[in-house]
Amino acid sequence: MKQTPATPLSTLTHLVTTALALLLGSMAAFGADGTAPPDGTIAYVLTDLHWAIYESADGKTECPHGFNEGNREQFKQLFPEDGTQRTLLETQLRREIDGWYPTTAPDPFPFLEAGGPTAYGLNLDGKVGPNDFTSPDGEKGVDNQLYRALGCIRNYRPPEGAIQGFDNDEVTKDVYNRILIELSGVDSLVNDADVQVTMYRGRDPILLDATGKKAIPGGSQRIDTRWGAKYIQHLHGRIKDGVLTTDPVDLVYPWAVFYIPTDEYMRAARLRLKLSPTTADGLIAGYTDIETWYSQLMRSYSTHHQSYGQSSAPSIYKAFRRLADAYPDPKTGANTAISSALLAKFTQVRIVPESKAQLASLPPQHPVRPYAGPPYPRPAAEEATEGGAKVAAVMAGSGATH
Amino acid sequence: MRAATTRVRYGSGVHSILGIAASCGLLLGAAQDARAASRPTEQYLRVPMPPHFRVEATELEGPVFADEHGHTLYKWPFKLLRVGNTGDPAGETNCTDTKTTTNAGFMSPYPGGFTLPDVATRPSCAQMWPPAIAPIKAKPIGKWTLITRKDGRKQWAYDGAALYTSALDRRPGDVLGGDTFEHRGDDPAVRVPVQPPADLPPGFAVATTRTGRLLQTEREFSVYYSDHDGPDKSNCDSVCAQTWKPMLAPASARPHADWSIFERSPGIRQWAFRKKPLYRYTLDSYSRSLQGSDVPGWHNAFTQMAPPPPAGFTVQNTTAGEVLADSHGKTIYTYFCGDDALDQLGCDHPTETQAYRFAMCGGGDPQRCVRTFPYVLAPKNARSDSRCWSVIDIDPRTGHRAARGQSDALHVWAFRERPVYTYAGDDEAGDVNADGIGEFRGEREGFKAFWLRDDFNRRAG
Repeated sequence: MKQTPATPLSTLTHLVTTALALLLGSMAAFGADGTAPPDGTIAYVLTDLHWAIYESADGKTECPHGFNEGNREQFKQLFPEDGTQRTLLETQLRREIDGWYPTTAPDPFPFLEAGGPTAYGLNLDGKVGPNDFTSPDGEKGVDNQLYRALGCIRNYRPPEGAIQGFDNDEVTKDVYNRILIELSGVDSLVNDADVQVTMYRGRDPILLDATGKKAIPGGSQRIDTRWGAKYIQHLHGRIKDGVLTTDPVDLVYPWAVFYIPTDEYMRAARLRLKLSPTTADGLIAGYTDIETWYSQLMRSYSTHHQSYGQSSAPSIYKAFRRLADAYPDPKTGANTAISSALLAKFTQVRIVPESKAQLASLPPQHPVRPYAGPPYPRPAAEEATEGGAKVAAVMAGSGATH
Repeated sequence: MRAATTRVRYGSGVHSILGIAASCGLLLGAAQDARAASRPTEQYLRVPMPPHFRVEATELEGPVFADEHGHTLYKWPFKLLRVGNTGDPAGETNCTDTKTTTNAGFMSPYPGGFTLPDVATRPSCAQMWPPAIAPIKAKPIGKWTLITRKDGRKQWAYDGAALYTSALDRRPGDVLGGDTFEHRGDDPAVRVPVQPPADLPPGFAVATTRTGRLLQTEREFSVYYSDHDGPDKSNCDSVCAQTWKPMLAPASARPHADWSIFERSPGIRQWAFRKKPLYRYTLDSYSRSLQGSDVPGWHNAFTQMAPPPPAGFTVQNTTAGEVLADSHGKTIYTYFCGDDALDQLGCDHPTETQAYRFAMCGGGDPQRCVRTFPYVLAPKNARSDSRCWSVIDIDPRTGHRAARGQSDALHVWAFRERPVYTYAGDDEAGDVNADGIGEFRGEREGFKAFWLRDDFNRRAG
């Protein structure tokens, strides 16, 4: 007998029934307390990443004197259109050199640091000091000097800041940045004192909803065991009241913007993420390696792109060096890292088992080192005698203060 | 420095680079030409040309149009830059005898009007790019037309684009003035060699990559062949064909030149190139992919391969793909530069100003530059098997060619006559810490890793 084709109504009923069955099955799979993932394992893919910038409603709490000026404004101050015939070497290329070969010579331009009592982040050193902040939820001793450096630069303030926007967009758009975390040995997503966390780089686009903007759970990811082997890192942590906290480790993670393959490197990094079966949201905090961070900035963002939101790489470098608060260089004693925090959002994914099987054949990975900066740096005195002296003279005349 | 991976993959199989070195390191004179001639070259469609004009086979670009002296012909495509635009609009030429002395301010945030480096010796556009002047009695033919320059002379144009030769090219087959690699949005308005139409069936295209002229579909997806097939015979069954989609030929298609057609099953016709059945890889996640060649027995198809690198060079894995590296595994970098003047002259060849490069490689200090970006030194008696790789003598203080007999000259490897470099800030094999050092990520001027494969952002071509 010829089978009657399904009517739209019966098809819909079938789909709803199937979906309910899958949902109930999935819930059952999450264990007796409804929170343990199947096989004690759950994975998430990174979908949002921002340097944590606390913003008051009008910005005046943290930036009472306003916001910083950027490359474009600094260039105009240095080289006003006053009829002087200048060379490209002493103007454009000089400013490019200041960006690519930055020094710790004092910044002749005024630099506005973020202040106020509040910042996102974690108490990284276990102390409460005079330069520390209090988090929006009341945690004292928050270490986040990177916020102090970037908080009053429009480029880094969401939602309008151009650099923070590009940075975040590329997290989902460029597969190079596909960061996965997999929690294993999980008995409960609410409380578990012993959880293993493995970071991988994925190889696949993120599953998005119909708008093409929002990540949705349930996608699949293969592990990049070929080019991404160095990003495979192991962390240990615990879950308390639904929040995962990991022990500090030095962490390297890919963050390329506009296609140049660049990384970030965070020392003593730890995750603090509120977990659910579909999302993991919260903070990645630690001491960001300054030279690696700066290399990522310069190689990703041209002077033009930095100018979108009034940032100046040479000024930021000097601020980072002034505010650096950890990991002193054994030779110079100067701190090489700056306390920092990232706001991160993850969405649940399934890691393709076949790609996990390839992990066994990987050779042992050696610890990754941060980028050391230009191998033959320009001495600060050289900057002062070249462009710096001129800058100082210009600024002295303008009445600007450091 | 971590131990180097010393294998190189060039399309038709994996070869030990040491083997390549042994086979091509010290060939001389006629032997070089004979070896180059033995490599298959790309076929093209014969089109009408002005009298005495010709087509030259080149190593990287495939066939290019050349004038009566064999000098490659270039066009200067009109390009929208950050602030304004330049290049040649269709049917016009903006490349004149007037010397440009100041920058144009095309590249935000910097304004124009600054005196250009080495302005006293800076050539005019027409000196650097001699227009292809037509005889008085010349007549248009096919896509070749004539435009009138401001001085009244007639200049050849092809498909509406004014044509030039390059002052850098000296021999037939040189393509030193420009290239057909993919350029990005903030690159200068570069000159592009003009080519005859490739001899390809409908639905196919070809692109210049670091590895060779990559055969692809018209939507830029790579085309592959398999070791498991025979000449004009596919052994890819229905299961295989779910992953490897045969490139089917319509009923009206006819074989020609390198292209044949066979029936893979009754009534189903498949294209073969040089008798190798062709496929598309359904798991390719991006265009111009080399991922399918990771599957044992499968290879990307090329109309012609790029010449191998110098003996001793290696290939290294990075976090994004493969780069060319020196014998110690240190990534090889090229320096690219187009200035911000109206005529967009080059600034990366040793005969051109070195001011931009010195700014990027050493903060303006040539000595710091040499230490930060060391030249890749060539052995004293090293010779290249190809035209695109060469050994040149450089004056390290100026970055220009050394004088004959100069005692402190450096004997260095060059690609397209531009020296190549390593970066002292790369600690380990596979580091690419200098990739993108320069203005606009090195698109306008700066250092780029020598990408052979980029699985994320297609930078190998």
